[in-house]
Amino acid sequence: MAAPTICVPGQRICRLEETCKQGNGTYPRNGYIYSSLAGYLHTFEDEDGKSLIEVKTQEEQNVVPSVDAIVTTRITNVNPRFCKCLILSVGKIPLREPFRGQIRKEDVRATEKDKLSLGDAHSYILSTAENELGVVIATSEAGATLEPISWCKMKCPKTMAEEFRKVAKVQPKYVQYAGT
Amino acid sequence: DRKSQEMTMHLQQTFNAAILTSLHPRSQIDIFVEVLQSDGGNYCASVNAATLAVIDAGIPMKDYVCACSASYLGDSPIVDINYLEESSGSPEITVAVLPKSEQIVFLEMNGRLHEDNLSKVVDMAVKGCKDVYGVLDRTVREHVSQVGSSLET
Repeated sequence: MAAPTICVPGQRICRLEETCKQGNGTYPRNGYIYSSLAGYLHTFEDEDGKSLIEVKTQEEQNVVPSVDAIVTTRITNVNPRFCKCLILSVGKIPLREPFRGQIRKEDVRATEKDKLSLGDAHSYILSTAENELGVVIATSEAGATLEPISWCKMKCPKTMAEEFRKVAKVQPKYVQYAGT
Repeated sequence: DRKSQEMTMHLQQTFNAAILTSLHPRSQIDIFVEVLQSDGGNYCASVNAATLAVIDAGIPMKDYVCACSASYLGDSPIVDINYLEESSGSPEITVAVLPKSEQIVFLEMNGRLHEDNLSKVVDMAVKGCKDVYGVLDRTVREHVSQVGSSLET
């Protein structure tokens, strides 16, 4: 494989045409595509035949949770009013360092999304108010992994005890099996 | 103190123009600069160092930001002035530039300069910035290829 080209911020990559789309690490200006990061140039072929131009750095992309982003978190504290969690990944991209998040009691089931702010200085504010959002993996008090039985209950295979959780209906396109 | 505050404002103004802040909404990007020892040219060194730091952090920028100072001493324009020349009372022009597009993002002048000499001095400073860009660019490319090759092995 030929050595990929190194790009630096401000470097002109190519002309902005119908066949090329700019991806992460690039920005368009004056009809050309320029690089905005220091890294290697990657070109991907899209299904439409368009080529996606990206600049990849050696680290994971610097992704930051934005409004309406779907995130994967691990709950760290539970409180009658809210629970605190660590945001582990945004969409498909795992974060290098977890961000802090907070899910308030009223935002677990149903909420008016316009009321929710992005967060404050401590933590982001999250909500699980949609069908596909909620608990994905849970451990029962006995220590076994809970299996979902309805949208609000999960059962422990060892003790057969049922515990209440808001279960997420994860869409198949987001599931990636280990080993594939 | 006053001087540091002014420098802070200038650095902020400069980097606001270069960093693609729209990609990080509602977020704060902190740049900390500590001057260990200086013989003049504090702002220029800070800008150049901060450019490298921001690139290394992976924060997307439109282009490098390179800064350089120039002055007019005797009969000729001089570039990259030191502390002695700064305090000698001659005018001092500091310029920060996006080298590829040759856009000036920051320009500051101290002292009194005749307008006939203005364009000469500014051009000299801009050329100084382009030379700084050459050095920074070479180093960044070397660094990227080193780190990239150590990852592939």
